Amino acid sequence: MALETHPDRGGPGTPLLQAKTLTKHFPLGGGAVVRAVDGVDFAVMKGETLGVVGESGCGKSTTARVVMQLIPQDKGEMLFDGEIVGGKDLTLKEYRRQAQMVFQDSYASLNPRLTIEDSIAFGPTVHGVSKAAAILRARDLLQRVGLDPARFAARYPHELSGGQRQRVNIARALALGPRLVILDEAVSALDKSVEAQVLNLLADLREEFGLTYIFISHDLNVVRFISDRVMVMYLGEVVEIGPVEELYNDPRHPYTKALLSAMPSMDPDNRTMEAPLTGDPPNPINPPEGCRFHPRCPQAQTVCSKVKPALVVTASEDGTRRAACHMEIPGSGHSRAPSLEAAA
Amino acid sequence: MTAIIESAAPIVVPPLAKSPGYWTGVWRRFKKDKVAVGAGLVVLAIILMAVFADYVAPADPTRSSMLRRLRPIGTPGYPLGADELGRDMLSRLIHGARLSLFMGVVPVFIAFVFGSVIGVAAGFFGGKFNTITMRTVDVFYAFPSVLLAIALSGALGAGITNSLLSLTIVFIPPIARIAESVTTQVRSMDYVEAARASGANALTIIRVHVLGNVLGPIFVYATSLISVSMILASGLSFLGLGTKPPTPEWGLMLNTLRTAIYVQPWVAALPGAAIFITSISFNLLSDGLRSAMDVKG
Amino acid sequence: MLSYLAKRILYVLPVAFGVSVFCFLLVHIAPGDPLTSVLPPDASQAMQDELRKIYGFDRPLPVQFGLWLLKALQGDLGTSIATGRPVAAEVWRAVGNTLLIALLATVIGFLLGSFFGFVAGYFRGSFLDKFASMLAVLGVSVPHYWLGMVMVIVFSVQLGWLPPGGAGPGGSAAWIWNWEHVSYMILPAITMSVIPMGIIARTVRALVADILHQEFVPALRAKGLMDFGVFRHVVKNAAPTALAVMGLQLGYLLGGSILIETVFSWPGTGFLLGNAIFQRDLPLLQGTILVLAMFFVGLNVLVDILQGLLDPRVRRR
Repeated sequence: MALETHPDRGGPGTPLLQAKTLTKHFPLGGGAVVRAVDGVDFAVMKGETLGVVGESGCGKSTTARVVMQLIPQDKGEMLFDGEIVGGKDLTLKEYRRQAQMVFQDSYASLNPRLTIEDSIAFGPTVHGVSKAAAILRARDLLQRVGLDPARFAARYPHELSGGQRQRVNIARALALGPRLVILDEAVSALDKSVEAQVLNLLADLREEFGLTYIFISHDLNVVRFISDRVMVMYLGEVVEIGPVEELYNDPRHPYTKALLSAMPSMDPDNRTMEAPLTGDPPNPINPPEGCRFHPRCPQAQTVCSKVKPALVVTASEDGTRRAACHMEIPGSGHSRAPSLEAAA
Repeated sequence: MTAIIESAAPIVVPPLAKSPGYWTGVWRRFKKDKVAVGAGLVVLAIILMAVFADYVAPADPTRSSMLRRLRPIGTPGYPLGADELGRDMLSRLIHGARLSLFMGVVPVFIAFVFGSVIGVAAGFFGGKFNTITMRTVDVFYAFPSVLLAIALSGALGAGITNSLLSLTIVFIPPIARIAESVTTQVRSMDYVEAARASGANALTIIRVHVLGNVLGPIFVYATSLISVSMILASGLSFLGLGTKPPTPEWGLMLNTLRTAIYVQPWVAALPGAAIFITSISFNLLSDGLRSAMDVKG
Repeated sequence: MLSYLAKRILYVLPVAFGVSVFCFLLVHIAPGDPLTSVLPPDASQAMQDELRKIYGFDRPLPVQFGLWLLKALQGDLGTSIATGRPVAAEVWRAVGNTLLIALLATVIGFLLGSFFGFVAGYFRGSFLDKFASMLAVLGVSVPHYWLGMVMVIVFSVQLGWLPPGGAGPGGSAAWIWNWEHVSYMILPAITMSVIPMGIIARTVRALVADILHQEFVPALRAKGLMDFGVFRHVVKNAAPTALAVMGLQLGYLLGGSILIETVFSWPGTGFLLGNAIFQRDLPLLQGTILVLAMFFVGLNVLVDILQGLLDPRVRRR
């Protein structure tokens, strides 16, 4: 038995994954609820890398786990190449062959009692590949992620460095021949020099295998390097999404601006003097009414605390950029919003 | 897209030099631990003595002699003296090792199997199943083990089978608790998440990724219960709830010799010394295993 | 703190309920009819039926349990089949005697255990540490009933210093606090104290070693505090946990005293249980075990609550 190829149903240039109003709340007891992911909409196009950024606690990792279906969503659905994930055309098990994930903690994500090749071969055997074929594939993948199989295949995780382990985790994710790989802070725990090597490896593998990435990180520089488009999350919601360079050069949402201004820059001429984030730290248990960012927003007005802004097309003719801010919504009631006539 | 196309010819996987595995390291560490190795040898000797009791024992353990009752240690023909019915103490002690070892190991082993299944299932599946299971376990945990063993044996009545049953029930809750807590830790590890993400079902994940990481700690804990089980089992016999005479069993021997402490005190104390030596050897062996297997807690 | 208290009590209620179900069922897992032990072998069918009605064994199990629990909550644990006296009265008298010995044993065990544990933890890795650790292993490995016998052999039979068993002239009913009576407590209490001693020594050793490794200890030394100052801080930090362990151990002793009481013929709950088992007096067995288990459960909660009072970190668990 062998793993079959996955036909590209929708054709290139169509979304590989569409998430529709994904919602995940964690009840805390006593009526309190953590709104970890609250109605998130986005799409990942075939062959692109979608970066996801935001502070810790903004729901990035929960989004990743819901997309991977490690935790079920409360509301919303996902389409994978046009088919409902977990529906009759694309069962969960089948979906999990086509979508894989790499975790942050390279050590915790490898079973300490299995050799490297056994860890990588586990996935394929679950899907009916013979043990011998899976082991051969594991060794081949080790080669492709830059680890000599003769040296590493029969080792145990504790004998490897963090960077080597993360290469193994990438190989493990690729073992099922996925189309989508979710990288949840996959390089965040690595040393800077190792991080760069692994990032280059990821970029190479994307070309070689025609992969699509969802790249989650709190490191804006790394996201800029690897991503085609970027999605900014705040308290379980998407506040801005758009092509990476446009978004970095001309952020529309005040939160994106604040994030980018807090980013360390190598260029002394490019350092902003804008105030970093102030106000209450975000708390997903009891998010504010209206726009969730308004208590910390320097431009907040009455409307911001009353009405939740929709994620609307902004700053682009082709609709590739969107932001959820009253300053971008014509006639929203914010003094800096574009007038309705101008929009028309 | 990539694919694995299987060829018609059988796949040959070239073997690689394996890294020294986990158990090699355990054995290396254990060998260095002089106390644990010594205790292990004593346990081995006692086991061999019990198995080959018929060949090792100098006399028939049940042959009594009214003329030679309660002889002191060192009596010719009775190296460890004679008991209240004139039976050879040495032979009775050697034969008694059989039941005492049996009652130390078997209840713990059965409880290890059941407790692990209960605890691993509760820990892995979590939720309501966990709550109900662990609350039930807590009820049994609310009894000190001696009390629970005596309560069950007292209600069920005397006899080896009932003692075995009672002790098994006594040890399932503590083992289930440990199993539940280590499984809960392992379940939250990313490698279990990764295994779920690869589409494996719960049973496969438990078999490949959970058991290998939880059975070690559970096993080490269970070995520490062997001495408790032996002491409890002998205690039940001591109360008259275990074996029936004339079967040689250390607890029962201690009971029947109790009245002899004014005549031959050191002969009367011998069966207890045998329990003590065996139990301490098992405990030291268990401690050695714990450090060699690097189990915390 | 109040919510912590409420949580602990809410948690223990189902456990206490489960314990009572277990104790109730004890009589029913026993082979045969609970009546067989009191019936004369030639009892007529009519007599059997009548007795069954009197004891309530003819009703369905849940009803029997409800009635039994209701009575137990009012302090009525039924009637002893062997003596015909109320179980509750017998149990309470015995509990008092057991508590006496168990408390004394806990105090001895705690003092000696803390001492050994402290010395071992303070001089970690030294000869004293190895000695104390060995003592702890001995403590958990020794069959206590046998240790009791050895004590009797040495101190009563050979040396003749202390009485071998019983509760003094006139039994526990004629108890007076004088040397003649107290001398009967010494051997059982010392024997029993070995049970908690090893565990307390182990706990204290770990605590002391841990505290000495924390950063504040070198800081104290740097501040010029003498060893006594360090000692005081170690005690202050180790005491809550050590006391909690001691509380739990007292609970274990209440249940674990059975065998030792049998050896010394001390008229406590263990002795009572021994009689109940020997005479197959199931109501007495049931009542004694219920009271002991409830004591244990209650003590656990009490220790938890006290720990919560002393250490705010515990409350958040």
